[in-house]
Amino acid sequence: MTEGLPVPSAGLAGISSLTMDPECSQLLPALCAVLADPRQPMADDTCLEKLLDWFKTITEAGSSLLLLQENPCLVELLCHMLKPQDLSSRVLSFSLRLTGVLAAQEDCFQYLQQGELLPKLFGEAGPLGGAAWTSPAVRSGWIQGLRSLAQHPSALHFLAHCGAVDTIFSLQEDSSLFVASAAGQLLVHILGLSMQGPAGGPPSLQAGDWPACAQKIVGHIEESLRATATPQITQALNVLTTTFGHYHDPWTQVLWVQLSPLVAGLLEKDPVPAAHSLVDLLLSVARSPGLSSSSCGLWETLAQTLSHLSPTQAGPLALGILKLQDCPQALRAQAFAVLLQPLACVLKAMAQDPGSSGVPDGTVGDSMTAGTPLPSKAACVGLLCRSLAHLELLLPLPQRPCPWPQAPLLGAAVTLLQLCGGSARPACDMGRHLCTLLLGCVRVQRAALDFLGALSDGTGPRELVTQVFAVLLEYLRSPDSSPTVLKKAFQATFRWLLSSPKTPGCWDLDPHALLFLRDLLPVLQKRLCSPCWEVRDSSLEFLTQMARHWGGQAGFRHALLASEVPKLTEQLLRDPESYVRASAVTAMGQLSSQGLCFPPAGPEHHGGQQKSLLVELLHILSTDSEGFPRRAVMQVFTQWLRDSHADVAGDTEQFVAGVLQVASQDLDWEVRAQGLELALVFLEQTLGQPRSHCPHAVTPPVEAPVGPLAQALQPLCRVRLFDFAFRALFDCDRPVAQKSCDLLLFLRAKTASSSGLQESRSSPDVASVEAALQRWQAGDQAQPLGDLEPEVVLAVLRSLDLEGLRGALAESSDHVEKSPQSLLQDMLATVGVLGENEADCY
Amino acid sequence: MPEIRVTPLGAGQDVGRSCILVSIAGKNVMLDCGMHMGFNDDRRFPDFSYITRNGRLTDFLDCVIISHFHLDHCGALPYFSEMVGYDGPIYMTHPTQAICPILLEDYRKIAVDKKGEANFFTSQMIKDCMKKVVAVHLHQTVQVDDELEIKAYYAGHVLGAAMFQIKVGSESVVYTGDYNMTPDRHLGAAWIDKCRPNLLITESTYATTIRDSKRCRERDFLKKVHEAVEHGGKVLIPVFALGRAQELCILLETFWERMNLKAPIYFSTGLTEKANHYYKLFITWTNQKIRKTFVQRNMFEFKHIKAFDRAFADNPGPMVVFATPGMLHAGQSLQIFRKWAGNEKNMVIMPGYCVQGTVGHKILSGQRKLEMEGRQVLEVKMQVEYMSFSAHADAKGIMQLVGQAEPESVLLVHGEAKKMEFLKQKIEQEFRVNCYMPANGLLPDAKKPRLLHGTLIMKDSNFRLVSSEQALKELGLAEHQLRFTCRVHLHDPRKEQETAMRVYSHLKSVLKDHCVQHLPDGSVTVESILIQAAAHSEDPGTKVLLVSWTYQDEELGSYLTSLLKKGLPQAPS
Repeated sequence: MTEGLPVPSAGLAGISSLTMDPECSQLLPALCAVLADPRQPMADDTCLEKLLDWFKTITEAGSSLLLLQENPCLVELLCHMLKPQDLSSRVLSFSLRLTGVLAAQEDCFQYLQQGELLPKLFGEAGPLGGAAWTSPAVRSGWIQGLRSLAQHPSALHFLAHCGAVDTIFSLQEDSSLFVASAAGQLLVHILGLSMQGPAGGPPSLQAGDWPACAQKIVGHIEESLRATATPQITQALNVLTTTFGHYHDPWTQVLWVQLSPLVAGLLEKDPVPAAHSLVDLLLSVARSPGLSSSSCGLWETLAQTLSHLSPTQAGPLALGILKLQDCPQALRAQAFAVLLQPLACVLKAMAQDPGSSGVPDGTVGDSMTAGTPLPSKAACVGLLCRSLAHLELLLPLPQRPCPWPQAPLLGAAVTLLQLCGGSARPACDMGRHLCTLLLGCVRVQRAALDFLGALSDGTGPRELVTQVFAVLLEYLRSPDSSPTVLKKAFQATFRWLLSSPKTPGCWDLDPHALLFLRDLLPVLQKRLCSPCWEVRDSSLEFLTQMARHWGGQAGFRHALLASEVPKLTEQLLRDPESYVRASAVTAMGQLSSQGLCFPPAGPEHHGGQQKSLLVELLHILSTDSEGFPRRAVMQVFTQWLRDSHADVAGDTEQFVAGVLQVASQDLDWEVRAQGLELALVFLEQTLGQPRSHCPHAVTPPVEAPVGPLAQALQPLCRVRLFDFAFRALFDCDRPVAQKSCDLLLFLRAKTASSSGLQESRSSPDVASVEAALQRWQAGDQAQPLGDLEPEVVLAVLRSLDLEGLRGALAESSDHVEKSPQSLLQDMLATVGVLGENEADCY
Repeated sequence: MPEIRVTPLGAGQDVGRSCILVSIAGKNVMLDCGMHMGFNDDRRFPDFSYITRNGRLTDFLDCVIISHFHLDHCGALPYFSEMVGYDGPIYMTHPTQAICPILLEDYRKIAVDKKGEANFFTSQMIKDCMKKVVAVHLHQTVQVDDELEIKAYYAGHVLGAAMFQIKVGSESVVYTGDYNMTPDRHLGAAWIDKCRPNLLITESTYATTIRDSKRCRERDFLKKVHEAVEHGGKVLIPVFALGRAQELCILLETFWERMNLKAPIYFSTGLTEKANHYYKLFITWTNQKIRKTFVQRNMFEFKHIKAFDRAFADNPGPMVVFATPGMLHAGQSLQIFRKWAGNEKNMVIMPGYCVQGTVGHKILSGQRKLEMEGRQVLEVKMQVEYMSFSAHADAKGIMQLVGQAEPESVLLVHGEAKKMEFLKQKIEQEFRVNCYMPANGLLPDAKKPRLLHGTLIMKDSNFRLVSSEQALKELGLAEHQLRFTCRVHLHDPRKEQETAMRVYSHLKSVLKDHCVQHLPDGSVTVESILIQAAAHSEDPGTKVLLVSWTYQDEELGSYLTSLLKKGLPQAPS
C-alpha cells in the first residue's frame, strides 16, 4: 500500500461488486507498472482512452472504493504520478482523468483525500506547477479530472480550498481551443454544483447570500463582462450561455437580473463586441424555462440587440426569436424584417417601380443600399446566403410568421436566380451593381435553389409559378450551371412538379406542368449526354424519381416515350463511370417496370425489347468490374420479382436460378446479401406471404402452404436456393451470414407447422450435406451441394443450431477484440514492440 | 499584417484524423477531413463542433481540400458533407477523386460489419459527397472565388497525393498533406517551387527519423517471402485494396520474373483489375521509370498475379496471397489467416499500421494465443513479420521541402509531440524561421510582427508598399543584377583553356545534381555561377579563377569557391 493512504475499509467487501473479471484483475498490476514506467512509452494513444472508458463503466456500475480496494495497483499508479520524473504527458493526463472518475463517488473521494493524493495531483504541488503543464494534454486531463470529480459537496469544498477555481479562470484563455472551452464548461458545472445547496435545499435567492464559490465565479463573469478585451467578454458570454442552457432553477433568474445590465451595456459599444456569443446568450436566456422573460426586460434587450447588430450578425438572432414559442408580436415582426431585409433590397433594386418590393422590410436601415457605400461582393453574397438559409429553416416551422409573404419570397428567389444566371434586366444602378456582384455566383445559386425548392410547399400566383418553372428550365439548360447547381435545380424542379395543382381524382400532372415537361425532356436528353459524370448521374436520379411518381400517367408516358430519353438511358448502362451505370440500371429498371422503355410499337416488339433488358442486366451482374452497378441490378431484380414483372413472371424459376447462381459467386458482399433478399422474396412467394415482412419474425405463418410441403419446397430446391443459403451461413462477410441465417430461420418456422413430409434424418444425403456444412464452417471451400431433395433440406435445417449462430453473428465482429481483457493484453504486449508501426498510417 | 489562423481539429500532435482549419485573410479552408480508425464511436471523427458553432458550415467554410485518398485524410468526408451538412466545394486531384469512394466503401463495409455502428454514412451519401468534388490538375491555379485561389503540387506518397498552396491576395499557406521526398518504385518525389508562403503546414510523421533506404526494406521483404515459399510455406499479405497493394504487386511480379519462380501469387478481392485500371489511367502520376517503360510493358499488368478463389486456400504447396482487409479484423484475410495460422512454415506479412483490438495488432505485438469467437483459442504458429513501406518524408526530406518552399514560418502537424519538438528546433536553427507545433484545437499565433520586403512608392502624396516586380513594372525599369565575385588562385602551369577544362571535369564529377557546362568561350558555368580562368600577371605558374554568382545562388557560390580553393585533383600524366 502506498505511503499515506490507509487500506480501504474491509467493511465494504460485502457490497456487491461489479468491478472486473479475475483475468483483468490479474493483468492490471502489470499494466499499471508499465504505465508508471517512463522508459516504456505507450505506443497507441487510443488505448488509454479505451482504458478510461472501461473504468468509467466499472465505476458507474459499482463502488469505486471497492475497485481500489481490490486493485491497490491503481492507487500506486496515481501516487507514482506525484514523483518528479519524466512522465509521459499522455499517462499523466490519463491518471488525472482516472482520479477524477474514481473520486466522483464521495467515499472514494474521502479515501483519496486522506492520503492527500487529490491536493497533490490537482493542487499547486502537482503537475500544475511543473514542466508537464506546458502540455495541452495534461491541462486538458486536469480539467476533465476535476469535471468528473466535482459531483458532491466535499468536492466543492476541495475545489474552493485548493485554488482550482483561479486556475480554471486562467485556463479560459488557454492557447488550446479545446482546453479553453473545457475550462468554461467546468466553471458552469462548478457554479451549478455550488448552487445546489449544501443539503440539497434551494439556495437563497439573494445573490449576496450565495455560496462563496458561486459568488467568486459570478464576480469573475462580471469582471470579464466589464473588460475591454473581446476574448474575455466572449468567455464570460459563453459561460453564461451554457449556464442558462443547463440550469433552469430559480437562481438562474436572479443571476440574469444581476448580469443583464452588464450584458445590455455591451450594446453601447461600437462595434458590439463578441456579437456571435452575445446572440447565443440572449437566445439561451429566452429559451430558458426558468426565466420569466417579461419580468427581466429580456424582450427590450432583444429588440435593442436586433437594431444594434449588423445584418449579418442579427440574422441568427432574428431566426432564434422567430423560433421562440412565446414572444411579443412586435419583436417577431422586427425579427422577421431583419431576415427579409436582404431579399427586400434585391427586389427593390430590381423593381421597375422602386418602393414596392412587396416584402415587409420593417423599419431597420436598408443596409444593402442606403447610406453606406455599395457592399463588397463577399459581404453581399454572405448576407444573401444566410438570409435564404434562415428563411428556409423557418419555412416548415408551425410558428413561422403569419401571413407568410409567399409571393414576394418566390419573386425574390426567382430574381436572385435570374441575377446569378445573367437573365435579369435591372432598371437602376443598384440593380446593375447587384447584377455584377452576383453574376455566376454559385453560392447564391445553391442557396436560392434550395430555398426555391422549399417554397414549393406553399402556393403562389400562376404567373409567378410560371416564372419559377422558367427560371428552373433556364438553369437546367444553361451550360454554365455547375454540377452541384444542376443537381439542386433538378431537386427543386421535382419538388415543384410534385406540388403543381392536380385535377381532383387524377394523379397526373396538370396541363401547365405537362407543357413544362415538354420543354424539360429535351434538356434532360442533353444532360444525359453531359461529359460530366455528376450531371449524367443526377439526371438519371431525377428521371427515376419522375418515372416512379408519374410513370403510370398518360401525359407523362406520352411525353417520355416520344423523347429520346429512354434510349439514352439504355445507352448509359455502358457508361465508363460505375456510379452512372448503377443509376442507369435503377432508372431502366423503373422505366421497364412501367413499360416506359420504348416507343409505343406493337406488342410483339415490346416483349422482345424487354427480354433484351433482362439479358443486359444479367450481363452487367456477371461481368461489371465494379460493385455499384451489380448491386443496382440486384435491387432491380428483387423489385421485379416482388412486382411480378412480366418478364420475370414468364419463367420465374429460371430467372431466380440464374440470378442466384451469379449473385452467390459475387465478390461484393452487398450483391450476395441482395441475392439472399431476392431468395427471401421468392421463398415468400412460393410458400405464401408471411405475416410480417420482417425476416426476424419467426412466428409460424397463419397460412399453410398450398399443397404438400415437398411440392412447395421443390421449386426452391430447383433454383438451388439452399446451396446458396447454406454456404452463405459461413460467409466471411458477417452481414451475408446474418441474412442467410434469418432466411433459414424464417423457412424453418414456415415449415414447422406443416406436416406430410417425412424427414430423412439419417439418409446418406443428409450426412453429406452436414459434412459439407462443417467443412464450410471450418473455412474450407468445397464443391456445390448439387441437387438437394426437400427431405434432406428439412432434416439439415432442423439439425442446424441456427439460433446459436444468429446469436453469435449478432455480436460485433470485434466483440472479442474489444473486451477489456483484450485491451489489457494488447497494451501489455505492445510495450516496447511497436515503434514506427504506429505512424505508418494505412 | 497577415492574419492566418490555424486550428487543427485532428492532425495537430495526433497521427490520424487529419483535419485542419485555416483562416487566411477572411477565407476559411478546411484541409483534409480524416478519421481515426482506432475508435468506433464519435471520437473517430474530428471535432467539428468548433466550426459548427460559427453558424451554418456552408456559409462559414469557403472550401474543403483533400490531399490524398488515405482514410486518415478523407474518411470523415461523407460524414462532414452529408451528415454534418457542408454543402460547398471539395477540391482534390483526379486520381484522389477516382479512388476515394473505393476506400470509403471499404471502410463503410468494416463499419457495417461491426455491431452498433449507427450514425454512419451510406453508399448514396458517399456518392452525393463525391458529386461535390471539383477535381484539379497539378500546377493548375484554381479560382475558388474572386479572392481565394488554390494550386496543387506533386507529393509522391500515394497515387494522386498533392500538396496545396492556398492564396488570398498576397497571403499564402502551403499544406503538404503526406509527402515523400524520395522516389519509390512507382511514384516520384514531392516537388514544390520556391513559392515563399507565409506559412508552410507540413506533416512530420517521421520527424526524427532518417530512414534506411526503401530498397533495403524491399530486399528484406522479398527475401522473407522467397524463403517462406522455398520452404513450401504459404504467405499471407493483408492489405487495403488500393495503394500499398499495388506497390507490393510490382515488387513481387518483378522478383518472380527475375528469379523465374513458379509459386502462384493471388490477389483476393477482385479489386486488382479496378486498381490497376486507375494506375493505368493516371500513369502520368507515377514515376518516370514506369512512364518510360509503359509502352514496352505496363507495370500494372501482372503476369504472375492471378485472381484468388476461396477454394485455392486449401491447395497444397506454397503460394502468396494478398487479401483484404489490411488489419486482419474480419473478412477474407482473417479467414485465410485462421486457416494457415497453425503451420509454422506459413508466414503473414503485415505491411501497414494496425489499430488496437484487431488481430493484426495482436500478432504484431507478439501474442500467439488468440481468443476467437466462442472462447476458442487460435494458436499462431506461423511466422509474423512487419514491413513498413509507408512513404512519408523523413527529417531530411522535411528539411529539404522547407528549403524548397522557403516559407516565412512552419507549422508541424501529423506527428508525435516529442519528435516534433526536435524537428522544430532544427528548422528554427537552420532556416531562421518560426516553427509551431500546435496540439489539436491550439491556435498558433501567426500574427507576430514580421519583416516585409518590398518597394515603397510615393506618388500623389500616397505611399504604397509593392513587390519589387510590381515596382519595376510601374516605373518602367529593368532589374539590375547583383553578382558576387571572388578570385581563386590555383597553382597550374598549363594554359588557361586547359585549367578551365580541368575545373570543368572536377566540378562535373563532384556536382552530379547540378548542370555543369563548358561554354565555347572556355568559361565554365554551374547554374548561375560563372568561372573563367585567366593567367596571373606576375606568376605564369599560377592561374586566377574569376568566380561570380547571383545572390540567389549564394549558397552554391560559396560552396564552389571553397571547393576550388582546395585545388584540383591531379590530372593523370
